[in-house]
Amino acid sequence: MNEASPDSAPAVDVAQAVRQRRVEVAQRKPEADADVNLQHIQVCNYSFFYGTTQVLFDVNMDIPERRVTALIGPSGCGKTTLLRNINRMNDLIDGIRHQGDILIGGQSVYDRYLEVISLRKRIGMVFQKSNPFPKTIYENIVYSLRVAGRNKKAELDETVERSLRGAALWDEVKDRLKESAFSLSGGQMQRLCIARAIANRPEILLMDEPCSALDPVATGKIEDLIDELKKEYTIIIVTHNMQQAARVSDRTAFFYLGKLIEYDDTQTIFMNPAEEQTEAYVSGRFG
Amino acid sequence: MQKRQQRAVPERFVVRRATLYFDRFMNQFIKVGGLSVIVAVSLIFVFILLQVFPLFRGATVEWRKDMPVPPGQYVVMGTDEWSELPFFVNAGGEVLFVDTVDPGGPHNRGHFTRTPGLADEATVSAVAFNEMQTQLLYGTVDGRFAIVDVQYKATFPERGGREVAVELDETPLLRIGREGVPVRKLAYGGSGVQKLVAATQEVEGEFELHAVSLAQQRTLLGAGELSVERSYDLTEFLTGEPEQLAIPRDADAVLIGNTDGSVVYLHFDGQEFTRRQVFVPFEDREDRRIATMDFLLGDVSLVLTAHCGANRVYSIYRDPEADMRIWGHTKTFPDLDRGAVFYSASMRNKAFLIGDGRVASLRYGTTETIRWQEDLPVQATLAALGPRYNRLLFLDDQYSLHFYDLHDPHPQAGWRTFFGKIQYEGQATAEYSWQSTGGRDDFERKLSLVPLIIGTLKGTLYAMIFALPIALLAAIYTSQFLDPAVKRYVKPTMEIMASLPSVVLGFLAALWLAPIISNAVPSVLSAMLGVIVGAFGIGYLWGQLPQRIRMLLKPGYEFIAFVPFMVLIAYAGWHLGALAEQFLFVVEDPDTGLVIADFRLWFPRATGLGFEQRNAFVVGFVMGFAVIPIIFTITEDALSNVPEAFRSGSLALGASRWQTAVRVVVPTASAGTFSAVMIGLGRAVGETMIVVMATGNTPVTEFNPFTGMRTLSANIAVELPEAPYLGTLYRTLFLGAMVLFLMTFAVNTVAEVMRQRLREKYRAVE
Ligand SMILES: Nc1ncnc2c1ncn2[C@@H]1O[C@H](COP(=O)(O)OP(=O)(O)O)[C@@H](O)[C@H]1O
Ligand SMILES: [Mg+2]
Repeated sequence: MNEASPDSAPAVDVAQAVRQRRVEVAQRKPEADADVNLQHIQVCNYSFFYGTTQVLFDVNMDIPERRVTALIGPSGCGKTTLLRNINRMNDLIDGIRHQGDILIGGQSVYDRYLEVISLRKRIGMVFQKSNPFPKTIYENIVYSLRVAGRNKKAELDETVERSLRGAALWDEVKDRLKESAFSLSGGQMQRLCIARAIANRPEILLMDEPCSALDPVATGKIEDLIDELKKEYTIIIVTHNMQQAARVSDRTAFFYLGKLIEYDDTQTIFMNPAEEQTEAYVSGRFG
Repeated sequence: MQKRQQRAVPERFVVRRATLYFDRFMNQFIKVGGLSVIVAVSLIFVFILLQVFPLFRGATVEWRKDMPVPPGQYVVMGTDEWSELPFFVNAGGEVLFVDTVDPGGPHNRGHFTRTPGLADEATVSAVAFNEMQTQLLYGTVDGRFAIVDVQYKATFPERGGREVAVELDETPLLRIGREGVPVRKLAYGGSGVQKLVAATQEVEGEFELHAVSLAQQRTLLGAGELSVERSYDLTEFLTGEPEQLAIPRDADAVLIGNTDGSVVYLHFDGQEFTRRQVFVPFEDREDRRIATMDFLLGDVSLVLTAHCGANRVYSIYRDPEADMRIWGHTKTFPDLDRGAVFYSASMRNKAFLIGDGRVASLRYGTTETIRWQEDLPVQATLAALGPRYNRLLFLDDQYSLHFYDLHDPHPQAGWRTFFGKIQYEGQATAEYSWQSTGGRDDFERKLSLVPLIIGTLKGTLYAMIFALPIALLAAIYTSQFLDPAVKRYVKPTMEIMASLPSVVLGFLAALWLAPIISNAVPSVLSAMLGVIVGAFGIGYLWGQLPQRIRMLLKPGYEFIAFVPFMVLIAYAGWHLGALAEQFLFVVEDPDTGLVIADFRLWFPRATGLGFEQRNAFVVGFVMGFAVIPIIFTITEDALSNVPEAFRSGSLALGASRWQTAVRVVVPTASAGTFSAVMIGLGRAVGETMIVVMATGNTPVTEFNPFTGMRTLSANIAVELPEAPYLGTLYRTLFLGAMVLFLMTFAVNTVAEVMRQRLREKYRAVE
C-alpha cells in the first residue's frame, strides 16, 4: 500500500504544492486518509508555544518524501518540539498552543476529521533514549499490531522477522525473541526501537537524536540502517553530530533560537551555507 | 604510610572533621533506629504471645496435705468456698465438719458434728446432696423429707485472719409419697418460684415415684415457711427400678434413671407432668446400666457414667425434628474402669471431678477434654471440687482426707474452643460460636474465633468489592486520562478523604447511611448497576461519535460530557429500583395480613437469610470510603511514576490512551498497584471503629451482605473493657489479636514476595 514511485525532486514551490494537495484532500473521504500514500511533509508558518513561551517562530519547511532530512542546531532551539508536533506527541502537555500548520500529504495534522491515533500509526518515532517496553523482544515489536487488533500468529511472526531484519538486528536476536527487551545492549535496544517503529510499516520515521547515547560502532550500524530505510520512508532525524548529519542526510535544516535559519541540500549547508550563523555552527565555532 | 604522613595535604582537599563525625553518627543512628523498630515489633509479638501462651497450658494439681477423719459411713461430702471446713454426712444424717486450716495449730477447731433436729423425730433413710446450693436433702423411714441448708459464713476473729463458721438451716419435715413407707431416693430442684421434690419408695416389692411441688410464703421479713403445694403420683411413668433421680434448678423436670439403662424425662409445666422422652444413654454398649447421673453447672447437661465405665454428657436442647426441648448425646469422654464412685461438679464452670476410686479425673464438659487425670495412691470414696475451682478433696477408704491444690485458670481454653466446632449447651448441632458473656452465672462461654475471622474476611471482602474497582479505575483515569489541570485538584481531595477519622465515617454509616440504604435497597442496587452499565454504555457511545464531535472536548475533559449522564442514570436507576420493588419484592406482612412491597421483608422470606439495618453492605460501602483514598493515592503515584518514555513510546505507536494504560502503564506499575491493594486490604482487615459502629456486632458465620458481622478488631474494642484482667476472655482477646496479626503478616508477606517478583519483571531500564 505504500508503493509509490520515489519522487527524487524536492518540491520547489511550496505554496503551490500545498494548494494542490489541499484540493486533492478535499475530494477524499476522511476514512481513506490513512490509506493514501503521501509522505510529503510541509510545515507552514508554524509557531509553537509552551504556555506563554514561544519556542518555534514562523517555521516554513518542505520536507521531501523518501529522503533523510536532518534537523540541526544548538540545544533548546526547538528541534524536538517540531518533531513531536509532526505526530502530535505534544498534545498531552498542559497549556500548549500553535499557529500555522503542519501538513502531511497535504492534510493538516490538526484536521478535525483526523484521528490522532491513525496519524501516529502513519508515523514511526524513535526517541533519544531507547524506550523498549518491559516486555519480550517479540512483544515489543508486535505491539503496534496488537493494539490495532491484529493478532494472527503468522502475521506477527512475519512482522517480527521483517522489522528486525529491517533494523539489522535479526541475526543478533533471532534465538532470544522471548527474552526481555532489557536483556539487550544499549545499541541493540535502540535498533529494537527502530524495528518497533517500522513494524506497522509507517510512511514517515521521526528520529530524535537516535545515536546520542550510543558508542561509535552502534552509531555506525544505525547510520547504515538509516541509509537503508530511506528507500521506503521519509525520515526526519535530529542530530547534534555534524558528521552524522553530513553522512546520512539529503537535506539539512539549521535552527537557532526557534527560528529556521537555513534549509537546503546537506551539501550546500555544509560546504556553502548562505547564512553566517549556519557557517559558524557547522564549522563548530559555536553551539 | 611514612611517606604519606610527610606530605602535607593541601587544605582544599581536607575533609572537615565535623563532616566525618556527623556522617559516622548518622550511620549509627540510622542503624540503631532501624534495629529498634524491628525490636519493637518483635517485642509486641512476644508480648501478645506471652498473653496467649497460658491459654494452652493444662491444669496443675499439687498435693497439699492429708488429715485423718473419724471413721463413719459417709455418703455425701461437701465443702465451703475456701475449702477450709469440708463436711461429711453419714447414712444416719449426721454432719461432720473437719477444720483443715493449720492442722494441729492453736486455732484449729478439729472436727465437730452437727445433727439436724429432724434426726431425732424420724430416722433418716436417704440423703441427697444438691451441690450447687449446698443443700442436703433428707428422706425418712416414714415417708417424709426435709431440706437442710448448709450455710457457711466467713467470720473475722480478733486475732486476725478469717474463720469459716457454719450453720444448718432446716425446713420442717414434709410429707411425700406414701405415709409410713421409707424414702429410698430423693431429689430436689428449685431456685426460683417453682420448687419440686421427687422421691422413690418401695411398697411391697413395687417401686413408686412421688413428687411434691412446694410453696413458700413470702412475708415482709423475707422467705417464710415451706409447705407442700401439691402432690403427684408419678408411678405410672416408671419403666423399671428407679436408681437415679435428678431435678434441675428450674424445677421443670424430673429425670429418672432406671436399672435397665433408660432415662425417663418427665416435663413439669407447673401444673402437670408429661413424659417427654425416654432415652438410653449407653444404648450402644453391652452393659447399658447407668452408674451415676448428675448435673453440670447450670442443670442443662447431665453427666452420666455407665457400670462399664463409659462417660457421656447429655444436654437438653430444642430438637428441630421433635420441635421441643429434649435430651441428646452431646459429649463423650474416655472410659473409666467402671462406673463412677465419686462426682463433683464445679460451681464456676463446666468442669467436673469424677473417678472410680483409683483414678481421679478432672474433665471439662464443653470441650470434651481431660484437664487432669491421675492414679491416686489411695482408694477414694468421696471427692469434692472446691467451689472456687482451686482445690480437690478426696476421702479414702482409710478415712484420710487428701487435700490438693488445683491451678487451672483457663479450663475451657484449647484449640477446639477457639477454632473447632462445639455443640454448646442448648444448641442442636456443633457450631462455631462466639458469645463471651451471658445473663447467668452458669452461662457457658462460647469462644470460637472462627465467626470473628469470618466476620473480618466478610467486612474486608465487601469493602474491597466496593473499593477496589473504584480506587483502581479512578487511579488509572486520573493518572492516564484526566487533564493535568483537573488532576491537581483531585489528588488533594482524595487525600483529605483519607484523613477522615474512621469514627466519623462509622457514625455517618450507622446513623445516616444505614437507614437510608436499608429503606431503599432495590433503589441503591439499581442505581449502582445503572452507573456501572451506564459507564460502559456511554463510553462505548462516545467512541462511536465522529471525531468532529469528540474534538469539541479537550482530551482529559471528557468527564464533563459524562457526569450529567451518569447523574441522570443514577437518578433513573434509583426510581426504577423503587418501581421494581413494587412489583418484584411483594410480601404479605405477617402482622397485619396486608400485602406490601418491601425488600426488607421480602429478602429474608425469599432466601431464608437475615436482614439487618446495619449490615455488611453498609460497612463495605463506608469502609470502602476509608480504603479508596489509600489505594487510590498509592496506585496513582505508582502509575504516574511509570517513565514517561513508556507512555510516549506506546502512544507514538498508535495505541490509544486506554491501550497504553492497560498494556504498558498498568503492568509496569503493577508492583506499586499491588502494594496499594495490599495496604488497603490491611487497612480493611484492621479497621475497627466503622465496624463497631455500623454493624450490630453479631458474630455470624455467613457472607450474607444484608447481615452484620463482628470482626476480630471490633471484638477486641467491644469486649476488652469487659474482660477481667488476665482472665480467659482477656487472653482470648489477645489470641484474637494474634490471629489478626498473623493474618496481616501473612497477607503482607505474600504481598511483599509478589511485589518483588513484579518489580523484577517490570523493572525499568537503568
Ligand atoms: N514540556 C515543555 N514545557 C515547557 N517548555 C518546554 C517543554 N519542552 C521543551 N521546552 C522548552 O522549549 C524549548 C525547545 O526545546 P526542545 O524542542 O526540546 O529543544 P531541542 O530539542 O532543540 O534541544 C526549550 O527552551 C525548552 O526549555
Ligand atoms: Mg531535543
